[in-house]
Amino acid sequence: MSTAISAASSTESDAADLVFDVRAITLRFGGVTSLDDVTLQMRRGEILAIIGPNGAGKTSLFNSLTGVYTPQEGEILVAARPGDRPQSVLGKKTHLVNHMGVARTFQNIRLFPALTALENVKVGVETRQKSGPVSAMLGLPWQRREERESTRAAYALLDRVGLAGRANSLAGSLAYGEQRRLEIARALATGPGVILLDEPAAGTNPAEKRELAALIQQINTEGVSVLLIEHDMKLVMSVAHRIVVLNFGKHIAEGSPEQIQRDPAVVAAYLGTSEAEAEQELESHDQPELRTIDISGDPLGTDDPGTSAPEGSRS
Amino acid sequence: MNRRVSLPPAVTRLMACLGGSVVLAMMVGRQQGSQQDYGLAFRESVLDVRIIGFLLLGVLAFLVITYREVVTPYVRRPGVRPLVVAVLVLVAAFFLMKWYDPLGDGKFGTLADAVAQTSGILPLAHVFFGWLWWVALIGLPVGTFVAIAIRNRRLAWIMAGLSVVLAVLTLVVHARSVAFAGGVDHSFGATTAFIGFLILAGAGVVAARSQEETAKTRAFVEQVMAYRPGLPLIVLGILLGLLALVLATWLAPRGDNLTLVDTSSLFSGSGLDGLATAVLGWLAYVLFAVVAVLGAAAVWLRSRALGWATAAAAALSILAVLYTLYAITDLAADQGYGTGTGPWQNLGTGGWVLCIALFTVGAGGAVAALQFQGRRGPEGSSDGVAGRLHDAGRSTTIRSLALFGIGLALFYPPTASGFWQQSLSTTIGVYVLLAIGLNVVIGWAGLLDLGFIAFYAIGSYTTAYLTNSLPVKPPSWLALSPLWAIPIAIAVCLLAGVLLGAPTLRLRGDYLAIVTLGFGEIIRIIAVNNPGNFTNGPRGVSDPVPHPVIDLGFVRFEWGGTSLQYWYLLLVLLAIVIVLFYRLEGSRLGRAWAAIREDEVAAQASGVNTTRVKLMAFAIGASTSGLAGVFFGSQVGFFNPQNFVLNNSILIVAYVVFGGMGSLIGAIAGAAALTWLPDFLRDQVPAEDRTMWIGAVLLIMMIFRPQGLIPARRREAELTGLAGHDIAARPSVQAIPASEGV
Repeated sequence: MSTAISAASSTESDAADLVFDVRAITLRFGGVTSLDDVTLQMRRGEILAIIGPNGAGKTSLFNSLTGVYTPQEGEILVAARPGDRPQSVLGKKTHLVNHMGVARTFQNIRLFPALTALENVKVGVETRQKSGPVSAMLGLPWQRREERESTRAAYALLDRVGLAGRANSLAGSLAYGEQRRLEIARALATGPGVILLDEPAAGTNPAEKRELAALIQQINTEGVSVLLIEHDMKLVMSVAHRIVVLNFGKHIAEGSPEQIQRDPAVVAAYLGTSEAEAEQELESHDQPELRTIDISGDPLGTDDPGTSAPEGSRS
Repeated sequence: MNRRVSLPPAVTRLMACLGGSVVLAMMVGRQQGSQQDYGLAFRESVLDVRIIGFLLLGVLAFLVITYREVVTPYVRRPGVRPLVVAVLVLVAAFFLMKWYDPLGDGKFGTLADAVAQTSGILPLAHVFFGWLWWVALIGLPVGTFVAIAIRNRRLAWIMAGLSVVLAVLTLVVHARSVAFAGGVDHSFGATTAFIGFLILAGAGVVAARSQEETAKTRAFVEQVMAYRPGLPLIVLGILLGLLALVLATWLAPRGDNLTLVDTSSLFSGSGLDGLATAVLGWLAYVLFAVVAVLGAAAVWLRSRALGWATAAAAALSILAVLYTLYAITDLAADQGYGTGTGPWQNLGTGGWVLCIALFTVGAGGAVAALQFQGRRGPEGSSDGVAGRLHDAGRSTTIRSLALFGIGLALFYPPTASGFWQQSLSTTIGVYVLLAIGLNVVIGWAGLLDLGFIAFYAIGSYTTAYLTNSLPVKPPSWLALSPLWAIPIAIAVCLLAGVLLGAPTLRLRGDYLAIVTLGFGEIIRIIAVNNPGNFTNGPRGVSDPVPHPVIDLGFVRFEWGGTSLQYWYLLLVLLAIVIVLFYRLEGSRLGRAWAAIREDEVAAQASGVNTTRVKLMAFAIGASTSGLAGVFFGSQVGFFNPQNFVLNNSILIVAYVVFGGMGSLIGAIAGAAALTWLPDFLRDQVPAEDRTMWIGAVLLIMMIFRPQGLIPARRREAELTGLAGHDIAARPSVQAIPASEGV
């Protein structure tokens, strides 16, 4: 892991060990260009955050990476698990992309609410199993063994996200933060090499955010690369090794958290001003921190009400 | 702008209630005029004195709705719920059931008139049918309600006691009247009234015993069931057994209804073999006593070994009773006694009721044994569907009900009339199979299929082809008996399911429904158009489909003598299908179905191959209807495309929804209830009104219990809005929040 972290601080990318290699993709919906010539590379073992104002194309990027959308131009190569050969995602069905080792969560939680927490995770575990309906109907030994294995694996995952005590509660009855963590457990259940988290901290309280940050780092140290969309800059700055900034579907900046905080283009995107004005803004502050101009709309995170005002017009 | 006249809500509500009562009046009354007088029906049903009664009903409904807050505390009192059920059962016993069917329409009034005109019958019967019934029918519920409302324990006990007396009296008096008049009796009126009075007694006991202000019906039931698991079954079985041994008729060869004692004396010295003679003479009592004592001991001492011993003893006793029934009817037919021409004819209800009783007691023993077995094992095993939601009381209740249902399914049909036997094994049985199949598609995978009947048609025509019943003959090596056609019919339906599913399953919701609807019609129209003279067009199959045969060389059995034989074949098929599907529901595939039903996008993102999983739902659902097709084809012999109209597809959807989507038991219960209803209504309402009443039942059901008769846990959670944080707050039992507040 330490190698990955040190790799994160270097600016040169090691071409041999990329999880995602996104080459100049463009995604259009009719006249709207959602992703415009986006290129980015994600290294194995890193936590890469994608930030940007609302409508910047972050979720569209996720959907392109998981095969939900197929970009009209460009290429996406994935080698999720260590030792995989890079394969194209384009045109692959979502579940096949998942089988390639790419798991994801959703911005608005999408669990199976009427199934128990345990069953939710088992659905994920079982997509890698082999037994079919006939062996299930006849109760054949290998089906029973797989059933036991999936239960054991699901319990282990629930334990890992701190939900072991709620295994038999219906997913829809869990508290919001618990649902977020259950979604992560379900994503991990498919045995991914990379996990895509779409705003995992949205709507959670500060204590839950700290737990979440710990969980993300723990997942990462266990060898799963993490691609993270998040509006909470505190969380992003504390966990991310590298950050990519999107605005209006364009890749506008990339670098370590420190670099991003000082990037005039990024500050301009968040303030809705020109780059020159942003540079002045940066110089006038001794120690500017991006989280003070957080676009998450959280008034507690902004000490200057004037800076958050332009955001309303942007969305 | 036109301003809407806004009425006070109370006035709107009153108008709605009165409108509803007018509709009800039209439903109950005459609906068709004549060509000379189109207004006749309306005048007779609405513009008549009787409308006052209906309007009063409407006003009553209005008052109940308006003053709900005032009424609610009383309705929630312990005992009110059983009281309402008891009144409904008693009213049903009076208005709907037959009391003695050889008397024409056989309703209560007919029998009461007949008794009044007959002298020499038990004086008690005169009293009962003269005035006692009416006094009891009105007095007991009112008295019990007063006892509940003023919370008078003594009055409640008195009412409960009187109810038990009336219950016994009803049966005795009815039995005496029937014995007096002679003739075979299949009526249920008295039995239903018996049950009604017992429920009323239960209401009284609950009211007298309860300490609480509001009823906790479910908790109470679970408490009772968990007190001594199996005890309710043992008690019920002993009651039924006493009924069978003392009152019920065992043989009815020439219109004379012989009880067990009479039968025994009839066959004394007639060359009946030893076992049967012994059973008739004394063994039946001894066997029943042994089983009952064993069962009671097992339940009371919570002994697992005794529980299984009870079940074994009950099984042996049932065999002895069945052998006796066979022996006496065989002998009676041999000697030309009565009208019977073979074994199993002219039987009364006694033997069968004794079988039900023995089975019930045995089941009680088994429930007890299973419960104590469960206690010893590690608690909270990992199964997701089971798990915390099922605590001891609930699982005992479900087991008890299921076992009692099996007992009824095995031994009740022989006592039913020929019409009901026919109905059971044709409509009810076949549609139960179809509903189980469609439940896979709609209930589990969440795909609305409006053309399900097409697979049934494919299964039926495949059977007809394989059994040489269509103009186009199969190659000789492929001509099969219906039983051997089952795997092929299932395979053909599987294939049809895949063929339909593959191109259409990309569609969702309404679009899929329309496409499947079209598919159903295409199959039917192909059958009508008779391509290649394969289906023989609208006339249906050209030769009758033969009955199934089992030929093992040394034994040969051919179905077709009676509907009952098909009923038992159906039970075997159903048992197999239920076991297989139950396992499927809890398997990986079952969870994947639930997942795509809940959220298809999330399921895909979790790696579920949704297309494949949906195809499997279609194919497995379709295969069940292949089985139903074989069964149906070989039983009725002839069928034609009219059997596979769109209406039937929609009916099956209604059965599944009515029973509770996604619930195996619910689908069975829904199909059974809704196929039973039209046959039942045949005697109650004019034929052309039947569908209207069924529609009313469906409407009421969907308004007051949208989750269906016996909802699946998963679906119930959806429809009752999860009440999620409520569950989270309460860590222990009572995990399912539904229905108590409905």
